[in-house]
Amino acid sequence: MTVPAPDGQRENQMDSRLSMIMDMGEILLTSGAEVSRVEDTITRLCRAYGFERADVFTITSSIIVTAAAPGGGSCTQTRRIRERGTDLGKVEKINALSRRICAEPLALSELEREISEIRGAKGTPRSVQLAMYVTISFALSVFFGGSWADGAASAVSGAILFAALYACSALKLNDIVGTTLCSAATALAVVLLVKAGLGDQPDKIMIGNIMLVIPGRQLTNSLRDMIGGDTISGLLNLSEALMRAIFVAMGFALVVFVM
Amino acid sequence: MQAQIIQTIMGMIASACFAVLFGVRDRKLAWIAAGSGAGWAVYLVCVGLGHGMYWGLFWASLFVSALSEVLARVVRTPVILLLVPMLIPEFPGKDLYYTMYHFVRNNYDEFAETSNMVLLEAGAIATGIILASCAAKLAWSITAHVSHRNNGRCG
Repeated sequence: MTVPAPDGQRENQMDSRLSMIMDMGEILLTSGAEVSRVEDTITRLCRAYGFERADVFTITSSIIVTAAAPGGGSCTQTRRIRERGTDLGKVEKINALSRRICAEPLALSELEREISEIRGAKGTPRSVQLAMYVTISFALSVFFGGSWADGAASAVSGAILFAALYACSALKLNDIVGTTLCSAATALAVVLLVKAGLGDQPDKIMIGNIMLVIPGRQLTNSLRDMIGGDTISGLLNLSEALMRAIFVAMGFALVVFVM
Repeated sequence: MQAQIIQTIMGMIASACFAVLFGVRDRKLAWIAAGSGAGWAVYLVCVGLGHGMYWGLFWASLFVSALSEVLARVVRTPVILLLVPMLIPEFPGKDLYYTMYHFVRNNYDEFAETSNMVLLEAGAIATGIILASCAAKLAWSITAHVSHRNNGRCG
């Protein structure tokens, strides 16, 4: 097959441009943005970087983009998304970057630098995460009607929940199995704490912890996606969130059932 | 009254902490805490006026979603970054727990009651979010339309 050199060069350029746009979309999706935002951002970026038309299809686990250049010719790229978390700070940064690009497209080298900077940004430090788990458990346990002692017990079991989640992610345990085990470990800790005399309403203590593992972000996203017309992504997200909620409940139920 | 104030403050703390977990790191934390407290106050006022829990949750989530739609435009940030942490106090974690509890304890009557409650609560919250989001979309497209027409006239 013989491809004339100038054309090949042009295609290469298109490829690398689209690839960077895909990078931005990928960061958005893996950090917990709604699917509609991912599609919207990619479309705008494609237009800003000189593509005539962009057909974007995104679901929670994949991004597919075909971008057409003005003079004919097009390229298609896909990304498979395997792991998604919640880092809305990154979503915000990509969002700000894309606003800047739409106002005035950056040079590709500069864009590459910006993207790798955002991607490499450190998430919340582990110690801060632990502090947040403890505080949230305490606050929500009291919020849902626990006494101060229940709150304190919840803070302890919240720390145990954090340790269990960290161990699961370090051992690269299957997500669903990990969620169930962590929930069970937390419930067990609560039962032991109450036996040891810290706190006296195990239900109120556990509720403070449960809120940490319930996929609230995913549920909200799925709703917003479904209203926006992305029914497929909304349903996928919703079923994933419901499944996770069921396994959380199962983890707690294991212990509640036995005790 | 004192119990309600403590509850609201706890909700605000939880919202702000969730925001930190989600990677929010600046002045927006104050907005999130304030919005979350105001949302829970809306719920408490509604329940205090005798409108019942479901209406309370509906108005509270409508308020919180509308607030985050507006605020997101003002401080130029994605809506979910504000919405998800602000909604934390409204999430029906308590009834979800009791549903599970009564299920494993074979208390079928209570199970039916609590699972029904969870569904209705989730429905009330979802309706609030949906309404606010649709209203916001409508409002922005009206504004865009009007300003577009004005621009056309001027140009």
